[in-house]
Amino acid sequence: MSKMSRRDFLRTVAAGIGAVTLSRFLAACSPSPAKPAATPLHPLATVTPTSPKEGSPSATDMATDSLPQPTSTVASIPDMVVARNGEPEALVRAALAALGGMELFVPKGANVLVKPNICVAYHTYEYAATTNPWVVGTLVKMCFEAGAASVKVCDYPFGGSPQEAYAISGIQDQVEANGGEMVYMSGFKYVATQIPNGIELKKTDVFSDVLDADVIIDVPVAKHHSAAILTLGMKNLMGVVRDRSAFHRNLGQRIADLSTLLKPKLTVVDAVRILMANGPTGGNLNDVKKLDTLIASADIVAADSYAATLFGKQPEEIPYIQAAAAMGLGRSDLNNLRIKEFSIGA
Amino acid sequence: MMKQETTTEKPQKRKIKIGRPVGPWVTARKITQYVALAIFIGLFVISRQGVWAGNIVNIPMRLDPLLELGNTIASRTLVAGSVVALITVILTIVFGRAWCGWLCPLGTVLDLVPLKGWRGKRPAPSESWRRVKYVLLVIILMAALLGNLTLLFLDPLAIFFRTLSTAIWPALDQIVTAIETALYQIPVLGEPLSTFDMMLRPALLPSEPIFYRDTLLFASLFLGLLLLNIFAPRFWCRYLCPLGGLLGWISRVALFRREVGEDCKGCQLCMQACPTGTIDPARNYASDPAECTMCMDCLETCPRSFVSFTPHIALADDMPYDPDRRAVLISFGTAAAGVALFRSNLLAKREQPFLLRPPGARENNPDVVAMTRCTRCNECIRACPTSVLQPAVFDAGLEGLGSPILITRLGYCDYSCNACGQICPVQAIPPLSLEEKRLQVIGKAFIDESRCIAWSDHQPCVVCEEMCPLPKKAIQLEEKEVWGPDNVTVKVQLPHVLRDACIGCGICEYKCPVSGSAAIRVYIPQTEVPF
Repeated sequence: MSKMSRRDFLRTVAAGIGAVTLSRFLAACSPSPAKPAATPLHPLATVTPTSPKEGSPSATDMATDSLPQPTSTVASIPDMVVARNGEPEALVRAALAALGGMELFVPKGANVLVKPNICVAYHTYEYAATTNPWVVGTLVKMCFEAGAASVKVCDYPFGGSPQEAYAISGIQDQVEANGGEMVYMSGFKYVATQIPNGIELKKTDVFSDVLDADVIIDVPVAKHHSAAILTLGMKNLMGVVRDRSAFHRNLGQRIADLSTLLKPKLTVVDAVRILMANGPTGGNLNDVKKLDTLIASADIVAADSYAATLFGKQPEEIPYIQAAAAMGLGRSDLNNLRIKEFSIGA
Repeated sequence: MMKQETTTEKPQKRKIKIGRPVGPWVTARKITQYVALAIFIGLFVISRQGVWAGNIVNIPMRLDPLLELGNTIASRTLVAGSVVALITVILTIVFGRAWCGWLCPLGTVLDLVPLKGWRGKRPAPSESWRRVKYVLLVIILMAALLGNLTLLFLDPLAIFFRTLSTAIWPALDQIVTAIETALYQIPVLGEPLSTFDMMLRPALLPSEPIFYRDTLLFASLFLGLLLLNIFAPRFWCRYLCPLGGLLGWISRVALFRREVGEDCKGCQLCMQACPTGTIDPARNYASDPAECTMCMDCLETCPRSFVSFTPHIALADDMPYDPDRRAVLISFGTAAAGVALFRSNLLAKREQPFLLRPPGARENNPDVVAMTRCTRCNECIRACPTSVLQPAVFDAGLEGLGSPILITRLGYCDYSCNACGQICPVQAIPPLSLEEKRLQVIGKAFIDESRCIAWSDHQPCVVCEEMCPLPKKAIQLEEKEVWGPDNVTVKVQLPHVLRDACIGCGICEYKCPVSGSAAIRVYIPQTEVPF
């Protein structure tokens, strides 16, 4: 290779910078934004039981998700499934079967992002500070069984490094054993995103893999949290935004605002073990209650509402559930929901 | 062993290029230098991951006899792991200062940046400058005897790794992140960039940006050290390096030494090639084994192969720049006066409220300001994954220069990490198990109620409580009705620190959303040092 002269080098660098600038300019001008503002609607979304029923709060942003197309098979699908008394894998399989099968949520070729709660690198799953690894692993496996092209799993822990947290939680092992990919949430991959339907939170930087995913599956572990009272499905989504300190003021409303942007097709609340106190970090087994329960729903508000009752709370007591229900993001009227509860009795 | 035999009657002329010695010995040396540099940097990178055990990744430091000797004298204890330093001592007894010429990473970097063009025809500084390194060495060892290790700050390995940790790696991370961020805007590059980043982090670069307070200072010191090459090649190694002084001293009895044949015609090519300038025409082109780094440049430069390296059992000649009794006595005096002056300042008596030492170091060092066992090698700093550990500049007075201190606004002591104690080569930080470290008190958090969002603004904020890693949180919330902004009462959760429970990990201070200094800060565990 001939030696490059200084002038040629500078010229090449200038051309490179010019190309980058131009491509950014073109990307900005293109009619369809490179990053979708919300997860694309998948063809089977019509069967998700979030469709506003009579009397349920209707909101404009829910309209897209509620094309009326009820069929006889769909009608038998409940709004929410609560599976009890079984091993994590059996609970997930039974709950998804009762919801109509993973195929309803994950179409063939979809790129799926599973968001568990891996908030700290301090303890193993028995402490219920992080989502049960077998719940996450089974979901990954079922996504592939349904024909998913890729399944990514990520969270950004606030205590300890991501690599430690991924390993200590046990989630990395289970995800990788089932063919999924653990993704580190590097700083450069956050995208400034508008939240058009947000009331207080109008924009925030969101991890781009979440925005790019065809399907988001939200897998929180049900935990005590002093600021939010409980951390459940909607609170768990805060893990994909960069600036979490922007959430302090009016936390409940802002969590609900974020839920207008990030809409999981499926929310699976891990209540195999729940953390009753000293959350979200945990560390004391006396605070952990083993319930062997799993809540699954396409309606994140409904799933959170039911999960609140596991702690003896009413949905109205949790500010973000209240705010989300008021915005019509889902239903918190547990009495009117079609809930299928069953025990596996393993 | 290394003698170049010349078989023909007439010594063969070799093609040589002035100033650029080439040949098998020089090639072997350069390869060794680069491999050693790569290994040293590799161990540096790995030490941040916690992949390998601390007592493996800290081997470079344990090879350093100056650090181990200083620590042994100052602490009056022999740490078992320090025997590794004997490898370097034996190497020196056999091959002289080969460590300096073949292995030392700082020496290799100085060779890579010769700055020959800038030096021009400038004559080298006076030979008496060579004495400085011996004087420094004597001061360091004398001060160690008096319980002070501050000047080990100048150890070449410590300088090299400190610069890597506090300046080069954070800057590299910033540059890579900036490039990634720019390229990520190009849609087609998204996937390859993600893949590239997954290979890079956390293996080579940190997953979260790291910050050091005095990056610029440490970078400037290192740059200054490189720029000294303008005055003479390897200026640092010739005149200043205290480790070089120690190894030079040992080299006076070294087995293999440079020898010049009697037929030498005095062409001076070896003298011009010698990076340490120790080849003296006045002494028939002989060199001082204490200065020679065994780089073999002269061997490969000599047109008629008069230079050889052969075994001798003899003491090297005294040189005019070797410290005489007077210089040694003055060094003793300087060390004693310096240590006494350090000991008589306010800090030594009262400490500083934010002088947070690594877990267990406060208990393990007889003097927490001077850190009497700490060799300033900064291994703990490079192992710390959150960069909460930083080298003190003036935080612990001049005495504590270079010792590790926790800056809890820039990082926090990770509840699932005990790397610093595992990597410390001299147990200035005790090798606590994770369970022990989780109970080790580093400091105590205090809330500044006049700045706290909950206490002063009556806005909901309990980040400190949320972050507290303890199984029974050391920050508890009190729900209280307070006067709100519009003369109405509002309910707000007010954080309180349970001081008996707090271990001072500092994650509350690190994450406190108040701008500038945090509204919750970690102080030293006691308010006054008991005497």
